[in-house]
Amino acid sequence: MTRHKLWVLLAVIALIIAACGGNEDTSDTTGAATSTTEGVTETTEGATATTGAPMEAPEAVYFGAVVPQTGAFAGGGAQVVRGYTYAVDAINEAGGVYVEEFDATLPIELILRDDESDPNKTTSVMEELAGENIAVYLGGFGSPVHAAGTAVAEKNQIPYLGVATALQALHEQGYQYYFSPFPKSPDIAVSVYEMLNGLLPEGERPLRVGIFQETTDWGEELGALWVEEAANHGYEVVLHEKYAPGSEDFTDIILAAQAADVEALFSLPTPPDGFNIYKQMGELGWKPPFSLVVRAADVPTWNDLGDAGDGAMLSAGWHWALGFEGIDAINERHIAEEGRPADPIVGGSYALVQIVVDAIGRAGTLDHQALRDAIAATDMDTVVGPITFREDGTAPIENPLMQRQAGSVVLVWPVVEGEGAGDILYPAN
Amino acid sequence: MSRWVSTMVWLLVLVAFAALGSITDDERLMTLAIQTFIFAALASSWNVLGGFAGQVSLGHAAFFGLGALITRELWLGEMALPLAIVIALAVTAAVAAAVGLPMLRFRGIYFSVGTLALGVAVWITAGNVWPGISSLPADALREYEFTGPYYVALGVVAVVVAVSMWLKRSKLGLGMMAVREDEEAASATGVSALAYKMIAFVISAVLAALAGAAFAFFSVSYYPQFPFSVVWTFEAITIVFVGGVGTIVGPLVGSVFFVVGRDMLSSTFPEIQVLTFGVLFIVVVLLLPGGFVEAGQRLFKLVSRGGADQKAKTGIRPGEREGKEKT
Repeated sequence: MTRHKLWVLLAVIALIIAACGGNEDTSDTTGAATSTTEGVTETTEGATATTGAPMEAPEAVYFGAVVPQTGAFAGGGAQVVRGYTYAVDAINEAGGVYVEEFDATLPIELILRDDESDPNKTTSVMEELAGENIAVYLGGFGSPVHAAGTAVAEKNQIPYLGVATALQALHEQGYQYYFSPFPKSPDIAVSVYEMLNGLLPEGERPLRVGIFQETTDWGEELGALWVEEAANHGYEVVLHEKYAPGSEDFTDIILAAQAADVEALFSLPTPPDGFNIYKQMGELGWKPPFSLVVRAADVPTWNDLGDAGDGAMLSAGWHWALGFEGIDAINERHIAEEGRPADPIVGGSYALVQIVVDAIGRAGTLDHQALRDAIAATDMDTVVGPITFREDGTAPIENPLMQRQAGSVVLVWPVVEGEGAGDILYPAN
Repeated sequence: MSRWVSTMVWLLVLVAFAALGSITDDERLMTLAIQTFIFAALASSWNVLGGFAGQVSLGHAAFFGLGALITRELWLGEMALPLAIVIALAVTAAVAAAVGLPMLRFRGIYFSVGTLALGVAVWITAGNVWPGISSLPADALREYEFTGPYYVALGVVAVVVAVSMWLKRSKLGLGMMAVREDEEAASATGVSALAYKMIAFVISAVLAALAGAAFAFFSVSYYPQFPFSVVWTFEAITIVFVGGVGTIVGPLVGSVFFVVGRDMLSSTFPEIQVLTFGVLFIVVVLLLPGGFVEAGQRLFKLVSRGGADQKAKTGIRPGEREGKEKT
């Protein structure tokens, strides 16, 4: 063996030894770190027990929010930001949140970061936030960014709360730190059929269902559930087309739906696909009597579609006409600033802050594990209604369905009286 | 620098990084280091094909993604990581050989466009076939440590650099460089251009897959489509050109500049970080066409020449006067 090869061999051996040593050292380091933490805790407890003095309070309670403010989900992200901002402002105006371990009432500071609607950016931004002493993560908009973010939260063992995600599969991962008081795919799949059967008399219902399913994890999940629930509620799926998100030409599947005589079209397009689908449906001169786009129509620009977009149904998790306590204040500010009543995701986002503040009050600490346990034990009224959490982090929550009617978003299900609610526009073509 | 000294320097760097992994538990530092290793390995792998053999592939991310995908699937399916990586590399080699044969019949811009088309097609297909996110199991997430991924990524970059060094000094590497300089002339002297390009293509793809394997082992959560994104290719090319194309050190220096620079920009100028980095890249390429390596060499020559001139004038080297005065 030449000297050169010997050096290479030594390098490999050195690396292996270092790696093995590193693991041992890391275990030790981790152990030491744990011990140190315990030591700190013990010392603190000791100090508290001896002197009765509370720990030194931070300047604020920090909430780390990673929200798409640019990219495909920017429109929805703007709603999320408004919800968080309104709630934080309301809490701070009321004095802040009392944290028993510091014996102090602290303001909330929202650390807001943009993930550019890119799930891979979500993870890196969340890792950065983990080093900024945050009490909780608040999520963004859209299942992909939540799917990426929840894993990071679980790794860092920091509670994560999110709305604007219906992906049920995320709650089947065994995560302990993820909470989402928002309707999930099974709720959406059932509620649309229940609404149709509840609002439309037999013989007038759109029984021939067509599905435009995007090739995403959520698309696969909800698409399958729509098919499964159709038969249970007396409907028939006559068309089930798939497309890649970001596609620009939907002519083929629109013509296929027209040829199949689809009466109820279900889709869950990622922006701007929903807009493009309806625009092209308008250009092709076809519109089904009933159509549901889940959240695609939940943007002000939807009005630009004119007649083509009118009558589209939304399943966006909340509507201000539901009338829960606190909605009036949200609406008042939203109208003043945006010129229209609160957008659907504003309510859900607002509720997340309410839930965390309530949990901090009960936990009396910003410790992540204690906070996580307090959130899991939530039982309170919020602007989206009463909230408790199941073991998997979902919440039993009603799924309201809305409809675009002459430029406004009208609540049609559940049937409630009052401003903002109304009868379903059917047939919409 | 003699070969022995060069080897010693590389070994010291390797041992230093190995030691760093065992003495720090700073997660931010570890994350930056791992990202740098992965980018360094990916950029070095591209450098084998683009820098040594002169074939500008724009579909390199396809192999990075393939390595990540196979490793991740097998590893999360309970297979031992080393075995998963070996299988990923073997499959990648086979795919690269199958793809390379028709692709390498194109030359110049046609090859680049062809590989770009292939890369984009694979990227989109991956999104359609594997739409679900790939996250570590919940228990594994809660017990996640950076140490393992750190050493795997360090080992990967060490292997990639070692292969690159061997290639550069070998007859095989010389053949690749001959093809890079003038394919016709190389063919006229008996070098089988297609064979050398094929070998470079396969080696480059396998090394990219190795970098992908490190990425798969490091990442807690990502969509399988992500490592297939053409952005990885362009970032690798950026790193190589900023560092120094066709050199061993260039991709390593470039990756440090890229990862650290991006991290600093994302925290200081988040709104314009992409734009800022793009402008920086253009400036570096315009002012330093040979990248940082060439800049370093120029600086070294300048200093050496200055020293030689001074010696010619005074009879002593710079610093010697101070040394003599001190003594």
